Amino acid sequence: MLKWYQETENQHDVFVASRIRLVRNLTHYPFPVKLSDEGKRELAGKLEEGLKEIGSVCGQDFRRFSLSSMDEREREALRERRALHGAGGENGCMGSLLLSEDEAVSITLAEEDHVRLQCMSGQAELSKLWEEADRLDDYINERFDYAFHEKYGYLTAYPTNVGTGLRAAVTLHLPMLSAGKRFGKLVAEIGRFGVAVRGVYGDGNENYGSLYEISNQKTLGVTEEEIISLVKQMADRLAASERKMKSVTLKSHRADMEDEIFKSYGVLRYARKLSVKEAMTYLSQVRAGEMEGLLQLRKPINLYRLMMEIQPANIRMLVPKEEEGDLNQARAAYIREMLPELV
Amino acid sequence: MLCEKCKVREANIRYTEVVGGVKTEYNLCSHCAREMDFGHYSAVFDTEYPIGKLLADLFGLNVEGGENDELDAGQVVCPTCHTAYSDFVKDSRFGCPDCYRVFDLLMSENIKKVQGNDTHTGKKPLHNRGEGQTRAEGNEEEKLLKSIELLDSRLREAVQEEEYEAAARYRDEIRELKERLSEHA
Repeated sequence: MLKWYQETENQHDVFVASRIRLVRNLTHYPFPVKLSDEGKRELAGKLEEGLKEIGSVCGQDFRRFSLSSMDEREREALRERRALHGAGGENGCMGSLLLSEDEAVSITLAEEDHVRLQCMSGQAELSKLWEEADRLDDYINERFDYAFHEKYGYLTAYPTNVGTGLRAAVTLHLPMLSAGKRFGKLVAEIGRFGVAVRGVYGDGNENYGSLYEISNQKTLGVTEEEIISLVKQMADRLAASERKMKSVTLKSHRADMEDEIFKSYGVLRYARKLSVKEAMTYLSQVRAGEMEGLLQLRKPINLYRLMMEIQPANIRMLVPKEEEGDLNQARAAYIREMLPELV
Repeated sequence: MLCEKCKVREANIRYTEVVGGVKTEYNLCSHCAREMDFGHYSAVFDTEYPIGKLLADLFGLNVEGGENDELDAGQVVCPTCHTAYSDFVKDSRFGCPDCYRVFDLLMSENIKKVQGNDTHTGKKPLHNRGEGQTRAEGNEEEKLLKSIELLDSRLREAVQEEEYEAAARYRDEIRELKERLSEHA
């Protein structure tokens, strides 16, 4: 079965991915931070047992991972592919992960909160994802009682998630907009509407690949539908600006754009060593060029998938441990193998 | 022990006051205590006084002058998971679902600052949903109630500001929503 990020159908030039995340906790248990390692394992076990058949809700099998016995490389690779939440490691993961075959649905148990349910997709379809998450949430709730407060809603370990426990997020590819001088200002402007814009991959303040995630900041006092429509609205506005800038640049600087795109393709095609930063920069260019029809590949490919799979831990998973020395070499080789030839 | 003021009734309130390092202790009955001046604590003896406000006062949140620093809000501890309010402030993280109930009064304003709101309006767990009521209907009714509440507060504001034209508009809107609500019921 293809992973959700490997799909090549209906790719969109700006919308790269959508994500819905729900945080839930059970009654009668302290939050995981107050549980001993033993307590966390026990709770995770109880949840796993109760949710054995969860695959029936979305019609596919789920794999079960115990995070404590999982190899650190694999854990990090899952994190890079967004199946696992970023903060995990520091408390020494003791919980479990239930992951659907296509990696689109991931349920983390007994980590930051008791249940962290996430649905992902490579399309712009937040509402559809919410329906799915809602169904899965009900399924879990039929088996376990949730901690709920009449005033504060669903109770969570962090006050920033309380209420709906919902984070609705859209990943956008914004090579044009983010290169502009006014991007910082635009991001700040959008922040005033209660929506955060953050770079998906990068190092410190530097963004690699021009992928940005737009998500709601507030979770309390707004309904799920309101949150989703707000994020959608802001994402649509950013996407429209990106497209407008692209068409203007294409008109005035078409030759320059084509030059950059083909140079980028050439480097990816023939380089023998590529750092994450280099690979992300060139892949971003090629993606923009392919979506615009400036460059045609012989076989369809999801370039966002390549952007995820060339992250350090994912590349490390591909090479035997003794050859780990030069990841840049392995990365360049992987891209050469995966990137289709030009028409 | 008898009340040291009236010397008739049993003393059931002990009030300790520390002023400039000098400690004075009073043993009073609730009747005499009500007549004494204990600053903002006097209201404790008023039956109308909400216990919530008393706690907030004690924990130094709404106290003017701040003479009661000995009692620090940070020392409030959740009995279920032993998370102190100061731990919560430090880590911005709760220890268990009960913390919300225990720290409710202390953090309500802060939550509002973080979230812009302090009352949940979205989905509810299965056991909190009304019996025999589909969710769509429940939501519709809730939405109406919420809008009425909102308009009502706007109406009161408008009256206060003597903006009678706006107030009349809100009044009409409320009437219309109430009609729709009764149709639903």
